[in-house]
Amino acid sequence: MDLLNLFVKSIFIDNMVFAFFLGMCSFIAVSKNVSTAAGLGLAVTFVLTVTVPIDYMLDKYVLQAGALTWLSDSFADVDLSFLSFIIFIAVIASFVQLVEMVVEKFAPALYSSLGIFLPLIAVNCAILGASLFMQQRGYETLGEATVFGFGSGVGWFLAIVGIAAINEKIKYSHVPPALKGVGITFIVTGLMGVAFMSFMGIKL
Amino acid sequence: MKAIENWIQKTKPNFEKGGKYEKWLPIYESFETFLHVPGNVTLKGSHVRDAIDLKRALIIVIFALVPALLFGMYNVGSLYYTSIGQDYTMWCALGYGFLKVLPLIVVSYVVGLGIEFTFCYIRGHEISEGYLVSGLIIPMIVPVDIPLWELAIAVAFAVIIGKEAFGGTGMNIVNPALLARAFLFFAYPGNMSGSSVWVHSSDVATVDGFSGETILGQLNAGTPVDAIHSVGANSQLSVCDLFVGNYAGCVGETSVIAILIGAVILLYTGIASYRIMLSVFAGGFLMGLAMNAIAPEGNMVMNFPAFQHLLIGGFAFGAVFMATDPVTAAQTNVGKWIYGFLIGAFAILIRCLNPAYPEGMMLAILLMNVFAPLIDHMVVQANIKRRLKRAKVTNA
Repeated sequence: MDLLNLFVKSIFIDNMVFAFFLGMCSFIAVSKNVSTAAGLGLAVTFVLTVTVPIDYMLDKYVLQAGALTWLSDSFADVDLSFLSFIIFIAVIASFVQLVEMVVEKFAPALYSSLGIFLPLIAVNCAILGASLFMQQRGYETLGEATVFGFGSGVGWFLAIVGIAAINEKIKYSHVPPALKGVGITFIVTGLMGVAFMSFMGIKL
Repeated sequence: MKAIENWIQKTKPNFEKGGKYEKWLPIYESFETFLHVPGNVTLKGSHVRDAIDLKRALIIVIFALVPALLFGMYNVGSLYYTSIGQDYTMWCALGYGFLKVLPLIVVSYVVGLGIEFTFCYIRGHEISEGYLVSGLIIPMIVPVDIPLWELAIAVAFAVIIGKEAFGGTGMNIVNPALLARAFLFFAYPGNMSGSSVWVHSSDVATVDGFSGETILGQLNAGTPVDAIHSVGANSQLSVCDLFVGNYAGCVGETSVIAILIGAVILLYTGIASYRIMLSVFAGGFLMGLAMNAIAPEGNMVMNFPAFQHLLIGGFAFGAVFMATDPVTAAQTNVGKWIYGFLIGAFAILIRCLNPAYPEGMMLAILLMNVFAPLIDHMVVQANIKRRLKRAKVTNA
């Protein structure tokens, strides 16, 4: 039950895009059509689901203060948490490499339409953000970390697919020339944020 | 009539291409079509002859809004006189309410139409009547005592960001009236919630034990279901009273009967989609039942009967007038069922689970407005897949 609550919470209430405005660059750039957006969303969801639990293990058994005591008691006062950023990013980057190779092999059309934004998942702040949230909020079990990573990914997927559908629709609107493209996407993001306010304050 | 026509004949050349006031053509044209039916005919391409155009469709929506508006005015006056403990006649209450609601309508129209005219003048596109409906809905979904300058800012925000940034009538993705309300709700929560804003207050002292709390507010505060009452101190509300709607709330949202009259007009003329309306109520009812089933003892909102959930707050008004907005709703027929159902379900869900917002309808509709294009996309893709499969089967 707690895991289900955490899952729903990380999709809707703590949505990566609308509650924290993380992962905006690819969110804005790769939202021209729904199928490409869904591809990127899936890639991000996969990377999140895998990296958050791995980072959780690293955090618990290597990085935290006194985490290395399982090796030897003499490590009790070693605190490696200053290495969190670089270790987390290394894990994320290696998994993005993996995803890139898989996508290139099995979905070449998607690979070419995502272009530079596929390798750029490595520096997508939503993904590093999820690992850091995991560390900061102190999730206690591997299950919680996995569910949180997966839920955040689903939330991000939902957001980018939603905005891609809107972008497909407003292609036919007479948007003022100055606002065309990125400008109107920012306005739409803001309006979607207002709509997602409906979940703020729900206690699960 | 003849005089107007002659006058138009005489002045028109000034506004046409090359004329003295060429730039003012959109504004001139809007007044021309407002005053009489222009004799324009399509010169080439397809000729669809239909008596109903955008203007007529919107006028019908305005007619449909009138019963709820009139009852809202009566309700404002009636609650005010009750609150100060004075006897009143129906006309007296209606007149008082009229004087209180009129400024809201005037501000909404002047600000909204002013912005719309300015945009049309600058961008040179035709003025369409889209704002006439939004401009009437906005005063009906705010508390009567909302300061006029706040209303003006909200209207400006909704028309510029919600509508003109997307290119005007028919292009917007969220309902401008709802956006105005959401803006007020998040920017000036003090004037949009609580127990003191729903009934007009003046210098006259109120009667003892008076509380101007809405039904949802009372439920949230833990009032037992059988003790919810109107502003008249201790008269308990029956289901019948909920239908009539003589209790505190936004100006136009309280009377289910007046709203249903509007719904009949909209459905009979085919302006609003019966699919959306039905599925909103169905979604709300089912979610209400689910909430009743899992409600813990003592949670009054969750224990409130599912059927009565549909009668209180902005649920009926939202379902009839706002969810059915053809621009922002889902466009496909299957999509409309899904869209409506989710609105109803989310509205009751937010009401029950989110203590921050006693009224869930506004945010539920906004949320589904945002996801309507995605629902349409899914429905269309599913359709394409199904038909491809069928084609393959017949070819094989």
